[in-house]
Amino acid sequence: MTLRVLTVDDSRTILAMLHHTLSNAGFEVLQAEDGKQGLDVLKAQAVDVVITDINMPVMDGIEFIKNVRATGQHNSLPILILTTETSQDKRDQGKAAGGTGWIVKPFDPEKLISVIHRVVH
Amino acid sequence: MSDLDDFKATYFDECSELLTELEEQFAAIEEGERGADRLNAVFRAIHSIKGGAGAFGFSALVGFAHAYETLLDYVRDGRVELTDDVVNLCIRANDIVADHVNAAQSGEDLPADYGAEEKSRFDALARGETASEDDDMGGEMVEEFDIDFTPVMVNLDGGGSGFAAGEAPVEDVFEAAPMEAADGQWEIRFTPHRALYARANDPLLLFRELAALGTMQVRAILSDVPPLSDFEPFAVYCAWEITLVAPGLGEEAIREVFEFVDGDCDIVIAQAGIVPGAGLDLGDFDAAPAPTEPQEPDLSSLLALTEEEVASPARPAEPLPSFAPDLPAEPVGAQDKFEEAPALSFADLAAEIPPPAPKIEATPVAAAAAKPASSEGEEGGGRSVGVQSIRVDLDKVDRVVNMVGELVITQSMLTQQMDETLRARYTELVRGLEVLAQTTRGLQDSVMAIRAQPVKSVFSRMPRLARELATKTNKKIKLETIGENTEIDKTVIEQLSDPLTHMIRNSADHGIESPEKRLAAGKPETGTIRLSAEQAGGNILIIVEDDGAGINREKVLQLARNKGIVAADITPTDEQIDQLIFAPGFSTAEAVSDISGRGVGMDVVLSNIKKIGGSVHVRSWTGKGCRMTLRLPLTLAVLDVMLVKVGGGPYVVPLSSIVETMQCSRASFERVPSGGRVLQVRGEYVQVIDLGQRFGLSTQTAPDDQFVVLCETEGNQKVALVVDDIIGQQQVVIKSLEENFERVEGIAGGTILGDGNVALIVDVQGLRTTHLHQNAA
Repeated sequence: MTLRVLTVDDSRTILAMLHHTLSNAGFEVLQAEDGKQGLDVLKAQAVDVVITDINMPVMDGIEFIKNVRATGQHNSLPILILTTETSQDKRDQGKAAGGTGWIVKPFDPEKLISVIHRVVH
Repeated sequence: MSDLDDFKATYFDECSELLTELEEQFAAIEEGERGADRLNAVFRAIHSIKGGAGAFGFSALVGFAHAYETLLDYVRDGRVELTDDVVNLCIRANDIVADHVNAAQSGEDLPADYGAEEKSRFDALARGETASEDDDMGGEMVEEFDIDFTPVMVNLDGGGSGFAAGEAPVEDVFEAAPMEAADGQWEIRFTPHRALYARANDPLLLFRELAALGTMQVRAILSDVPPLSDFEPFAVYCAWEITLVAPGLGEEAIREVFEFVDGDCDIVIAQAGIVPGAGLDLGDFDAAPAPTEPQEPDLSSLLALTEEEVASPARPAEPLPSFAPDLPAEPVGAQDKFEEAPALSFADLAAEIPPPAPKIEATPVAAAAAKPASSEGEEGGGRSVGVQSIRVDLDKVDRVVNMVGELVITQSMLTQQMDETLRARYTELVRGLEVLAQTTRGLQDSVMAIRAQPVKSVFSRMPRLARELATKTNKKIKLETIGENTEIDKTVIEQLSDPLTHMIRNSADHGIESPEKRLAAGKPETGTIRLSAEQAGGNILIIVEDDGAGINREKVLQLARNKGIVAADITPTDEQIDQLIFAPGFSTAEAVSDISGRGVGMDVVLSNIKKIGGSVHVRSWTGKGCRMTLRLPLTLAVLDVMLVKVGGGPYVVPLSSIVETMQCSRASFERVPSGGRVLQVRGEYVQVIDLGQRFGLSTQTAPDDQFVVLCETEGNQKVALVVDDIIGQQQVVIKSLEENFERVEGIAGGTILGDGNVALIVDVQGLRTTHLHQNAA
């Protein structure tokens, strides 16, 4: 079964890199440029895991995660936060909002895949 | 490695957008708009630039952006006040970031200490602020600034042959776990909290990961399960004991498995057969933010461990009902019946029915987090909210533009074919054609709109220019921008930056007076330069207006005479004198200043604007100010032309280059010794080119019935074209002759007229140059 990943980031560069890495690893990749678009995607499609940036316009990652959990329909949807090494507080905020785990940017492709497998069946 | 190049191209594209956004945000911040949304947008832009830079190993850029970002973060949460000084430092920092981006793009190396001064000022700002606020925190803060941010380069192949191979070693931050020499048998007690499930973590997956480390046995501990009458469906009652046999495995490796659930569970890891406490590192738990709770002795007895070893303060914030007292402590052996299988199914069950999330909000961490997050969530941060867009290759758009052009031509051709008899006979067809004409026009407008962009992208760079100019000239200058949402063709916008920069420099340098002079003249101390854009018919007008002294006509005329631009015996009108500032080689600046006199004059503005089919007009009021108007075409795909006839065939001359037309019978030609003709226009002698002769066409028209089209070429040089007849003005779609045929001297391109005939576009500049060569030869 192909796993479907929703990637949410306002940086096209990061989106492109995630897309490359994930599709090479056999994932189906959906993209959104901010939290609001991310919510729209989730409304329309079922996904297996979400990877989201924190700093985004319109709706940031923290709000996005809170909103996803608040729907009540995605309680078991793993959400991974993209963070940098130095932003421990963001990681904690993301977790408090309902984030499942995190990926440190810049990410190593192999590690990215293994982190995803850590949170999805 | 074209993938990496693609990503880099995307990245640099994105950087240039982000840098423009920074300019825009700081323009507003300078105006006093210092709301959270602005700062957040700035922070995000720098953050994104840093993020990408890290991926490609642009370490100098990452280092600088990181220090800058940290300062912005401090400013954002109020630890550093956003004074004018700080704003100026940030604007300077933006330049440095831009320089780093450019250097990275071109592969150049900037000096190692580039931006070091600014970087140290970031540090100083943070240190100064923290010292005044809280001395105890000082050391910690500084330390935070000193964090050595090491970028980890992306290895997208996943394997050993990284894209960035050879540039720097690829590190893996995850594999920092030191291996501890161990006997190999670990006892792990894992008690998940509700929060763990609320965040979609799944014990089953954790076990799977543990199992990959060695041989594992899992026992479910169901001692917390209450009598059915007290059973809460969403509560968590299950814990697990795991025995992991993995020789050579360190505790860190096990901790890493539980990395994501740290704080959402109680976890005790002990090495079997080791003196209690020796194999434990409880430091992590002591630092956990969750409130502590005394641990329950019956649990520790289950594990047969001492109290200290199970001391696990990371309990859930909301006290879960403890049912343990209801149940007698079971001997370990009694749990065997729950071994493995039940544990897994229970995990599945727990994952399927996750407990409700609201309780999470109650933890202090979440409360602290909610504040900045919500303020970030509300704003649009300078990007248009709700406008969806896609990126399309410009070539594709141009193809559509061209095809629509063809469609317009075909449509007008069809309309022309309908003569009166046909019209009377086929009324339905006529009506259909009218609808077609309307739809085609709508289609043309829509397609042109795709290429159009707001002038904002150019205007946004100007306030900063004005500020710099004010500093350099010791004048007080305010720049106002109006109509920045006016849209123009993308190509035109790209060509607009240099002329505008030059015009504003000119206004600041020559127009606006010093504050003293202004006060003496009864004007406000601060001079105003107004930059505005508006649409007027098929044109866009960009107006640069100042309330300075106006053009010093005496000085201009004197200089023009000295430089031989105006003959001594000619007295030009005021308006003509004003236009002289665009004459090539003309510059009134007595000293070549750093500002407007960069060795080129306003003639550069004129030639740049002409290149994109526009015109410049200047008007001055002595003592009151000066207004320069750029008239630009809405689009470059459609050209305004005058249709003329030469040797029986149609030719078109771009309207932008035509000064005036006249009948030959009224023109005063004179012969020059070489045999050529010149035309005398208001005391000026202009070369005459007979197009019929030039293109080798025989002309039946009597010389006196012919017309002269007086054109102006680059650098104000005039040329008079003799044509057989003038048919009228119209718009045409330009077709390249070089692409479809070959380059022809004196012809700039072709076009298809409404009747289907091909007309050639006269290249006025080219004609003049070749004419000169022929004469010389």
